[in-house]
Amino acid sequence: MVVDPPLPEPEMLAAIPRLRRYARVLTGDPTRADDLVQETLARAWEKRRLWTAGSDLRAWMFTIMHNLFVNQLAAATRDAQNVSIDGDGDGNAAWQLPVRATQQTHVELLEVLGELGRLPAEQREVLVLAAVEEMRYEEIAKLLAIPVGTVMSRLSRAREKLRRATSGVPDGNPAPVRMLR
Amino acid sequence: MSKPVTDADVHAYADRQLAPERVAEIEEAMVQDPALAARIAGIEGQNVWLREGLAALLDEPLPQRLIDAARPKPRRSLRIFLPVLAVAATLVIGVGLGWYARNALLRDAGMPTSFASEAAFAHALYASDAKRPVEVWAPEEKQLVAWLSRRLDIPLHAPDLNGAGYALVGGRLVAGNEKPTAMFMYENSAKQRLTLQARKRPGTGETAFRYAVEDGVGVYYWVDDRCAYALAGSLDRAQLLAIGRLVYQQLAAADDRR
Repeated sequence: MVVDPPLPEPEMLAAIPRLRRYARVLTGDPTRADDLVQETLARAWEKRRLWTAGSDLRAWMFTIMHNLFVNQLAAATRDAQNVSIDGDGDGNAAWQLPVRATQQTHVELLEVLGELGRLPAEQREVLVLAAVEEMRYEEIAKLLAIPVGTVMSRLSRAREKLRRATSGVPDGNPAPVRMLR
Repeated sequence: MSKPVTDADVHAYADRQLAPERVAEIEEAMVQDPALAARIAGIEGQNVWLREGLAALLDEPLPQRLIDAARPKPRRSLRIFLPVLAVAATLVIGVGLGWYARNALLRDAGMPTSFASEAAFAHALYASDAKRPVEVWAPEEKQLVAWLSRRLDIPLHAPDLNGAGYALVGGRLVAGNEKPTAMFMYENSAKQRLTLQARKRPGTGETAFRYAVEDGVGVYYWVDDRCAYALAGSLDRAQLLAIGRLVYQQLAAADDRR
């Protein structure tokens, strides 16, 4: 019988925490984040022929998630014209800030999510992929299907905006107290 | 005189993506230019702040629906495959007949082939249980082994799989089709679980390792002169086989000591 090659399940499972983290940064909402991850995993199984065995499964799934997210945003924009996905506007109107901290939620997490939420989605993506996922710029460019130069300019704008937003401190270090710990 | 420091250099330096020879040049420039050094330190501080803040998200427990979604789906769009189905059906009948014959042969040889699917089912049922995957936990290993040995009426032994990165979680008794089954559960640091299941068998003679995949759970099973064993887990075949061999060696060594 003709059977599609299976995806390596342990690697699929191992990728989930990072996919969830990225989805959370993209959507800003735990439930929508998990919906996005679930959809990403389902899509990965549907499209498993497109994955080359031995290549970076995580990067491939991040690409799938990015594309799903962009489509969702486009749909949301069609539904409500007030959602901005690009430019230096007031960030993504669909973004929901965490309202209250549960016991497990750390204050630092809420702070970071709050600040990231103020960035436009396209800057947020590049910043998190570079700074948190520690992906190479070329890899990010491929993942987002944009030139490396665009990656750099978005990264630069994201960092500058974050610096200005978080600096009660003039020297540009956004978190001097935390750094001391 | 080296090239002037660009914006891209600053980011790439802070993100540790710069070629080593350029790193040296930037570090030289940082000594000359405190403002540049401060800017880079600011970005590095931002990176740490982001990483540490978001790290908490990695520790959240995984919802079952995502674990399920990471596993293969048996369902598939019929529409696309209809032309293939006719051919496939013919094949299936042929293969099915062959498979049935093989199972019958194995069963006659004393090999309970249904054991593999029962083991996969029991694995899926208990390994996904976060709160109560086992009846007796690893700290009471001695009592666990003694209890299961008594219930199965054969001397059992819980292999030590720490060498493969799996620690004993504990064990339980599982109802089998014909006989009770002893289950030992193991877990690695990534919280992936393996189960080793054993039941008494009639007849004599050993069989080689056999492999089956049931509902996304890989199962290696084999029979020695006393027991049928199944090692089940959502690992790939090679990993599971490597651990299977480890188990087999330890069980053989334990038998030799008796």
